[in-house]
This record gives sequence, C-alpha cells and structure tokens, in this order.
Amino acid sequence: MTGVIWGLKNLARQPLRTGLSLIGIAVAAAMLLDMVMLSGGIDQSFSDLLLRRGFQMRLTPKGTLPFDTEATIGGVSEIVAALRRDPAVAAAGAVLGTSVYGRTPDSLVTLFGYGIEPEAQSLYEVTGGQDLTSGDSSGVVLSEAAARLLGASVGDTVTLVGRLDPQVVTAAVGRRLVVRGLVRWLYDYRGQPSVGTVLPLMQSLSRQAAADRASLILVKARDDRAVPQLADRLRQRFPQVEVNSVADLVAHFRERLVYFRQLSYILGSMSLIVAVLLIATLLTITVNERLGEIATLRAIGVSRATVVAQVLAEGTTLTLIGAVLGIALGLVTARYLDAILTSFPGLPAAFSFFVPRADTLAFAALVLLVTGALAGLYPAWLASRAPIAATLRAEAT
Amino acid sequence: MSSSLRITLLFAIAAAGPIEMLVAQRPGIAVDRRLAEHLSLRVGDTVRLGAAPDSLRILAVVTAVYEPRPDPAQLTKDERYVRLHLPDLAALLGAPDRVDRFGIGLVPGTPVSRAVTELERNAFGYRAYPSAAIASGSSQTFLVVSRFHRAIAVITIVASAVFLLCIMLLKVEERRMDAAVMRFVGVRRRTIFGALLLEAAVVAVMGSVVGTGLALVAGAATNAYYRHFFDTALTFSLITPGIVLFSVALSLLLGVAAGAVAAWRLVHTRPMVLWGRG
Amino acid sequence: MTPPPLLARELRKDYPMNGVTVHALRGVSLRVDRGDYVAIVGPSGSGKSTLLQLLGGIDTPSSGSVEVLGTPLDTLGDSELTRLRLTRLGFIFQRFHLLPVLTARENVELPMAEAGVRRAERQGRARELLEFVGLGHRAEHRATQLSGGEMQRVAVARALANRPAVVLADEPTGELDAGTGQEILDLFRRLNAGGTTLVVVTHDDRLAAEAGRVVHMLDGAIRD
Repeated sequence: MTGVIWGLKNLARQPLRTGLSLIGIAVAAAMLLDMVMLSGGIDQSFSDLLLRRGFQMRLTPKGTLPFDTEATIGGVSEIVAALRRDPAVAAAGAVLGTSVYGRTPDSLVTLFGYGIEPEAQSLYEVTGGQDLTSGDSSGVVLSEAAARLLGASVGDTVTLVGRLDPQVVTAAVGRRLVVRGLVRWLYDYRGQPSVGTVLPLMQSLSRQAAADRASLILVKARDDRAVPQLADRLRQRFPQVEVNSVADLVAHFRERLVYFRQLSYILGSMSLIVAVLLIATLLTITVNERLGEIATLRAIGVSRATVVAQVLAEGTTLTLIGAVLGIALGLVTARYLDAILTSFPGLPAAFSFFVPRADTLAFAALVLLVTGALAGLYPAWLASRAPIAATLRAEAT
Repeated sequence: MSSSLRITLLFAIAAAGPIEMLVAQRPGIAVDRRLAEHLSLRVGDTVRLGAAPDSLRILAVVTAVYEPRPDPAQLTKDERYVRLHLPDLAALLGAPDRVDRFGIGLVPGTPVSRAVTELERNAFGYRAYPSAAIASGSSQTFLVVSRFHRAIAVITIVASAVFLLCIMLLKVEERRMDAAVMRFVGVRRRTIFGALLLEAAVVAVMGSVVGTGLALVAGAATNAYYRHFFDTALTFSLITPGIVLFSVALSLLLGVAAGAVAAWRLVHTRPMVLWGRG
Repeated sequence: MTPPPLLARELRKDYPMNGVTVHALRGVSLRVDRGDYVAIVGPSGSGKSTLLQLLGGIDTPSSGSVEVLGTPLDTLGDSELTRLRLTRLGFIFQRFHLLPVLTARENVELPMAEAGVRRAERQGRARELLEFVGLGHRAEHRATQLSGGEMQRVAVARALANRPAVVLADEPTGELDAGTGQEILDLFRRLNAGGTTLVVVTHDDRLAAEAGRVVHMLDGAIRD
C-alpha cells in the first residue's frame, strides 16, 4: 500500500467534487491547448501553404508583399530568364494578378484573374479536368465559384473581357476561351471567383498596361539549405524587387497577426493560473479536511514522504485525467474558433489558425501536468507539516 | 483610396539640407508623421516621386507633415502615406482626369437612398454607395475579431462558472460540521441556506468590485501597450458602463447561483451524514 | 541488561491556549517493563493523553526525557522518530482513525507497506491479524462498512502489524457501547497474555480493572 494508491482512492471518495474539479481542469486544459495551437498555428499553416508546391521564394515589387498592392514588376521575362539560368534555381515562374470580367448571358461578372506560367506555378491544384499547358493561349482554368458564376464546366467556352470602361460598359479586349479544368486556388478566400490563363494572355486582358509585367515571381531552389544564401544573392542581383524567402514571409505575416500570438500567450497563461488555483484549492481543502487522518497516519509511523506522495498523486491524477478530457474538448473548441477566424475577409481558404499537431498536444499536456504537479506542492507541504499531537487533541474535542 | 493612388515608399530622398527656392512646377506634398520620422523629413525638404521604383521622375517639396487619422484597417499594414493635389497625382500616374471615386456630401436632410438611386440612374456606368455601407463592408475584419473575442468570453465564462461552483462546493463542505451542529440544535434549513447565500453574495460583490478594478487597469495597460506598439491613437480596449454593468450582473448571478447550489446540497444532507456518522 | 520498552523521566509539557499557558504535565516519571499491562486513569484534563503522546513520540516534552527500548527520543530526528513509531510502537485511538477509502485488510497492511514488507508477506500477516481479532470474514469490507467495534478491532490489528514492542491505546473503548467495549477488553487480555506490552489511557473501569498496574493522574501529575 503506497501513498500513491491511497491518493488515487481518495479521489473516488467525493465523486461530485472530483467530477467538478475535472471539468474545471478540462476547460482550463482545453483553453491552454487552443492557445498553444493558436500561437504556433498561424506560422505553421502559412508556411505549409507557401511550401505546398515547393517554391521557397517570392520576388515582388519593391516594398510590397505578394498581392498586397496592384504594383507590378517590369521586365519580368528578362528576370525570369536570368533566374532560370542560375544553377541554384530549379524553377522560376511569373504570376500576374488582375481584375477581369466574364460575360454571362445577361451581364458582366467581376473575376480575379491569374496569369501564370504552367510549367512553374504554385497557385492552384487541379480538381477536375486538365491543367493548362505552356503556351495554351485559348485555355482557361476556373475556380468552383467562377464556374458557378459563369455557368460553365470543363470543355465549355467562356468569354473573358478586360480593360473595361465602366461608363459605357465596353471592353477594350475580349477573348473566348475553353475551360480546360477546374482548380482549387490555394490563396483564394472562400467563394472567390478566380480564373487562370497563361501569362501573356492575362497581361493583355489586364486593366493597366501590363506588357512584360507581373505581380510576383516564384522561385524554387534546388537545395532547401541554400535558400538564405540564394535570397541574399538575388537581392543584390535584382535591387528593383523585394526578395522574400518563406521564412521572411512568415515573419511578415506573424507581425501582422502579432495580436493573436500575444493574445494566445495571455489567455494560455490565464488558463494555467486557473488550473493551478483550482488544483491547489481543491487539494488544500481536502488536506484540511483530512488533517486528523493525516495526523493519525503520521502517529502510527507513516513518513512525511508518503503523505506528500499521496497529495501529489491526487493532484497529478486529477491533472492527467483533466488533460485528457481537455485535449478532446480543446480540439472541438479549436474547430469552432478556427471557423470564426478563418472568416476574415480576404484570408486564403486553405489557411488555418488552429493547427492540431502531435507535438503541440504533447507540449500543452506536459505544461499542464507539470503545472498541476507544482500546484500540489503547497497542500502537500501543509499535509506533511500537520502537527500530530495538536491535531489529535483538536480531533478529540 | 485605391492602391494605385497610394504610394508606399516608392521614392527616395533627393536632397536634404537648406530649404530650396520652390520652383513653380514642383508639386507640394503632405507627408504622414510616421513616414517623416522614418525618413527624417522636414517641411521644405525635396523628394523624388514616381509610380514605380525605377521611374522616380518628379521632384516634390514637403509642404506639410500631418498626423494620420487613426484607422483600424491600417493597423497591421506597414504602409506610409503622402498626399498630393489630385492633378499632381494624376499627372504622376500618367492618367490625367481619372479618379477611382468621388466623395459626395448631401445637403442636410437629403435621404441617402434617394440620392443613391438618382445618381445610379443618371450617371451611367457608376455605382453609388452610402458611406455607411462602405464602412460596414470595410469593418468585416473587426466583426470577425469581435466574434472571436465573444467566443473567448463565452468559454471564459463557462470555465469561470465551473470553477466557481467547484470552489463554492468545497468551501461550503468545509463547514459541514458547523452545519450539522446547527441542525442538531434546531436551526432551520432556510436559515442556514440564507446565511450561506448571503455569504456567497457578499463574496460575489467583493469579487466583482475587485474584478472591475482589475479590468480597468488591464484595459488601460492594453491601450497603452498597443498604442505604443502600433504607434496609433486608436482605442483597443473600451470599458463602458454597460459592459461593467453586464459583467457585474453576470458575476453576481454566477456567484450567487454557485453558492445556492452548494448551500442547497448542504442543507439537504442529513445532519448525521454531515457529522460523519451517517 | 535489556532496557525497558518505555522509560519516562520528569516529563513536563506546557502549551499555550488562548493566551494562557496550560501545564498539561508537571514532572511525570514512568517505567513500563516488558509484558506490562498499564492503565493510566484520571479525570478529563489530568494529562493522560498528553502523557501517552509523549511516550509515543507524537509530541515533544517541554522538559524531561522519554526512552523507547533505551533510545532517547530527543536524540532522534523526525524521520527516525517516525520510523521508530512505525516499527517499535503501535497506536490505537479513541476514534479508530482508519482510512475510509481502504478495506480492513488494506488498513492493516498500511504500516507494513510503509515498512517495506513485501506484498505477499504483508497480505498474509494482515489476514492473520484480522483472524486474530475475529474479523477474517470482513477483510475486504471498506472501513466505512464496519461497525464501531469492528473498526476498533481493525485498529488493533493495524497497531500489531509491525510487531511493536509496546501498544499505546488512547481511550480505546471511548466510542463503543458496553458490549463492543467488552470485545476490546477481551482482545487486550489476549494480547497481554501473549506477551504484548500495553499502555492504555482509559475512563473505563473494567479496562482499568484488567490492567496489571494502574497509574492515577490528576492535574498533570501521578497521584500515587
């Protein structure tokens, strides 16, 4: 019979009290887990998104981030050609983002147009039909939303127009294109109607004169480890553009969402404090209730260490069970909170604020366990210091 | 203002030092205070402007430094602004006589919806929007943040309620012997219940007062921190009398309810069981 | 020459209570030899329980000394004193003080587990002791499922777990009716007949009558 087993049995003594404490700890644990997920989820999700197709760098107009403004890079073909000749570069491709319009039977609908180089793109994944091929100047790929808006499916012909004069509702440029495939645009927000064509075609449709201009250039390095050096080299070689590695972009993004990271630290800390208070209060009260019992045990020769082990075992067991329940609850609440935050306008639909990973869950559980164990220290100390004679005297009266 | 009318750090300083004689064709610009600090610009300095980093063609003179109006939408964007006279900007962009939008002020009393309808009927190819609709549309981000905060608040309230109930049960149970003795000597259940409830209410009131004080301090600290962090005059935490009233009412309700549950359980337990002999 | 199980010299114990100093013991000396059955009697507040607690090392005297099997208690640190109580002394309390979450057997096993006795051995001895006190058939019942007399008998079995040199009992029949009290009396008689040294604080005349020696206390001192 050890203090640990005694401690575990004591938990079953007051089922309502134990049950409520477990609920309290579980809720605190859930909040802690959610905040741990939030603190790292933003970076992880964004990084995963950026690296989805393996392009580790983006070149953008000076002083801007990808698709942050309508600014464009000039002389793109020369820059891309130079990049492709670089031995450290595995692939490079330019992308133009612009507004275009699609003709429906009774109106014009606004679409977001991507001009891409199919042999080096990281913006979409094909979900139906086929991908564009290099030089295909009569094909277009659509998002699901665009397909619905245009009433088109794979194989249909759609009309895209550009350089619209809103006053007379006439377009300077129009092209009839065949829908090659349906795609999921990785950076689109939910329901965004987007279309994609080869770059020269989209440049011709663009509202502003976009000949040989692009919104960004994607670069894939041959060796992941060489990315920082390659980025530095490109910055020196192309001073007219902004060169960002994925790490740089994640850092920028983290800055923009610094509020959520800070909030996660604050709320996470508060959850820990709540859990500590709950466990410490529960154990302190139960120790006070059982002082007579503890004094008797000390009188018959049970050591302080055994008494301490009993109290710590109670606290640790409560924390362990609470942590397990809390992880389950935390995953549910994380989905709910994620659904709220991912409704930010303009946020890519593929993005997530709460990313459940094994190491995240383990970290949260470990922090809670250690904290729970520490919370039991004061009541354990109380129990070990119970004055035997005075307590027995008090019990006798 | 569309991005084509925003110039974000697309110029470089051409000269600083003594104020040059203004040449008639050099446009005057107003620079936002943060940009002026960042580039050490003063009134009278000359700068180069362009629509692209590789075409800084125009010399302009800083004629004013202004404090930007606090705008939540710009909070996380590291953008800086200059203001030009419209013809100067249009010329710079090579698009004379073109704008993105008009701002229209109506004669007081004019219904906005009527004005919108008439404008759209008469000005072919245009869409007119009430400012309120624009504001609503552009504040979607903050609505999301508000919803998130509200969700966190709900979770916190649930956690607090559970915590409160647990603590109340523990504290009331500590007094089981006292309650047993009182019942033995003939004190009625309702008297014991009332006493415990009163105690819970007093603790809830005291907790609410302390909590309100903590919230005011935390709110002030939040505003001070984020105003410094984002270099803005925006208010981040706003504690209104309504919020205080709601919070106090809720905490009182939760505290008294928790006390009532704990007290009810105690007074409906047989005295001998409370005494430990049942 | 083997030292006596218990030897107390000029024990004094003072403690504050509500701003007043209470002189619970005023120079008490007592010797308990192997096999003795000593009853300490006296009115409430005479210092009986205080004396017992000092003899058992549960409390420390304000002055004077206690030796258990020749070992002065004031030379021992807390852990050594705890170990001595575990292995050399057995305690029985008025209110039994069994652990309610444990069964009768587990309660009896507790001191043996603490002393490091292996599981099989302590389970066997626990059953043996429970048979001795007539509760072999109640071994797996939780303490809360036992009557007062049964609980006290389990407490006796627990006190005997580590084969103590002396069993100290504080009002062992104080919470029991006459019938169950008599069961405890019979048990103590059998224990002493078997060679167990007993020191019992009691108000119970029957228990005092069973004892081989009666020590009368009054106002913190031994009267005779």
